[in-house]
Amino acid sequence: MSTSKYFPARLNDKRRRCSKAQVKEILDKIKSDGRKLLFEDEVKRLLALNGIAVTPCEVAHNEDQAVQLAAKFGYPSVLKVRSVFYTHKSDCGGVKLNLPDENGVRMAFREIRAAVAEQEPEACITVQPMAGAGTEVIIGVTTDNHFGKVIMFGLGGVFTEIFEDVTFRLIPITRKDAFEMLESVKGSMLLEGYRGKPPADRESLVEALLKVSKLVEDNEEIKELDLNPVVVYENGLLVLDGRGTLS
Amino acid sequence: MKKDLHPLFYPRSAAVLGAGADPERVGFNIFESIVYGGFKGPLYPIHPKLKNILGYDVYPSLDKVPGPVDVAVIALNQFSTVDVLEECARCGVKGILSIAGGFGEVGTEGVKLENKLAERANELGIPLIGPNTLGFINDDGNFYATFYPLRLIKGGVSVISQSGGMGLTIMQKALDEMMGMNKWIGVGNRAALEFSDYLAYLGDDPATRVIGVFMEGSEDALKFVKLIREICLKKPVVVFKAGQTKESDYMAMTHTGSLAGPYRLYRDILKQNGAIVVDTVEELVACCKALSLSQLPEGKRVGVLTHTAGPSIVAADYMLQLGCELPKYAPETYQRVRDVIGQNPPVVLKNPLDAAGLGFPALTYGRIADAVLGDPSMDIMMAIYCLHKNWRFPSREIIDVRNKWNKPAVAYYVSTVGDSAIDREMLQKEGVPLYISAREAARAVYALYEYKQILSSQAQ
Repeated sequence: MSTSKYFPARLNDKRRRCSKAQVKEILDKIKSDGRKLLFEDEVKRLLALNGIAVTPCEVAHNEDQAVQLAAKFGYPSVLKVRSVFYTHKSDCGGVKLNLPDENGVRMAFREIRAAVAEQEPEACITVQPMAGAGTEVIIGVTTDNHFGKVIMFGLGGVFTEIFEDVTFRLIPITRKDAFEMLESVKGSMLLEGYRGKPPADRESLVEALLKVSKLVEDNEEIKELDLNPVVVYENGLLVLDGRGTLS
Repeated sequence: MKKDLHPLFYPRSAAVLGAGADPERVGFNIFESIVYGGFKGPLYPIHPKLKNILGYDVYPSLDKVPGPVDVAVIALNQFSTVDVLEECARCGVKGILSIAGGFGEVGTEGVKLENKLAERANELGIPLIGPNTLGFINDDGNFYATFYPLRLIKGGVSVISQSGGMGLTIMQKALDEMMGMNKWIGVGNRAALEFSDYLAYLGDDPATRVIGVFMEGSEDALKFVKLIREICLKKPVVVFKAGQTKESDYMAMTHTGSLAGPYRLYRDILKQNGAIVVDTVEELVACCKALSLSQLPEGKRVGVLTHTAGPSIVAADYMLQLGCELPKYAPETYQRVRDVIGQNPPVVLKNPLDAAGLGFPALTYGRIADAVLGDPSMDIMMAIYCLHKNWRFPSREIIDVRNKWNKPAVAYYVSTVGDSAIDREMLQKEGVPLYISAREAARAVYALYEYKQILSSQAQ
């Protein structure tokens, strides 16, 4: 059992080829559940199938399962509520970060269940390892009334929330479009590293943008995706959270 | 499917339904505009009672007209406009301009009426401009079908405008700027023809060299930008998209989608697809003018020459913000400048090159300009000069230098529109656009580089 944070270098990337059938299976399952909302673990599976690095994320139905999963992925651990009633997970107390050990996981599991008791007392909870720090960015997809499928890129936190420093492109995008997206946000120099912070792996970000574009191009029914945050390291990146909707 | 708009823009004959004799009314003004626009073909005013308008015989209805009618200009009210469509079809009309308001812009009943208008026109296979528009102009075919009569200067810029008032603003600015125009289209409510239909037509139109667009927004946006992607390889497309505030509410989307609102989405996607995007009428006209007149620079390195510091600082500042470079001049250039104005000249030897008092005489200015544009590290020159009662503008010299080095030049004269008119004509005839504002001159310089970039990157 490790107690260091999760980085993409540790990801055992077997260069799995994107399996269209597996993607379809996930989307069909959601549709057959009568859901529009894609849970975080589902978004991450879609991304992983398309070669985008994510923190592993699995569903626990009870406390013991959560503990087993946390041990499997390594500590520190992260627990998040998985519910159609709580789509903004952290607003309702449904996210617990940096849990150091089994005790922490058990406490967090109970706290989250208590926080969502009103709407869904038996809510499932996802477990994943705590990722290391890097440069936070956001990748989004929306379906615009006028243009159709559009991909968005922005820097994380205040850059997107307060300064609205984001950029859009029509899907599908080219490699050149993806590079220009990185450059066309005002805070783009943050990706180059500053004050001792190492530069972010721009190439991996370009790859991720291209793969998200392709995923949406190939699967018309994906209406929205919100990958937030995506953490970019000196080598590689990780999608730490995500949600989506189907049309 | 591409719609054939040629007969609409180049009619051999036209009728004005609802033509009148009262200068207060639209029906007179649009007829007068066609007459004074110099339309060469047969022109038939239609009115139930009048006998003669401006010397033209009036006919009581379309089917009483003695010859074929290519274009029917319908200046009737909204209800009669719909009613008269069948008659237009029977008479073999190939295109319709529908002026009346009272359609989609006035609520549910209007929407119904407009749908009826569009459906009938489409069923009959007649392209229809409008309704609710000032009309359109084809200077190339001398067809001025608008009830705001004016005359344009001949040229290669065609404009599509979603708003009549903004469309007029563009034409009036174009007149101030002596920008030659070819076609002007007030698209109105776009009942039967969309932005993309007009764009496709102008893209294929050999008389149109540059396309300018004013738009508020359109459900047709996707088709529109995909067309820009093709057309931008043949001719520049400059777009002014209005509505930068977030209040526009067409996009009630998720977090991601509603973040920046539609303006930024439009801006980014237009640029992605090869449009040059501007934010004001002044910029729209500045870019269209430069692109229709000037050769393109090889790169973005601008040599600035001035005899007055302030305007050059303001222009340089704006060019740098846009993405131009203002590199240092080569040592040989400074030597050449010294050869012209002395070894220890009271000038600032850097870029912008401020010739100060020595730059006043046009001949000296011209010799320094020769060094500036001849500098191997410069792709384009911005030449700045101030209007003076006793000193002439160095226009001839700028043209000579441009010809000698075969690199583009943009002139920025600190002047009034009127005082620079003769020089504007002289310079622009030779392919050197002239501006009297720093922002417009700077935007024009960058637009030339932008289009060069579009050609090289979209072609890949």
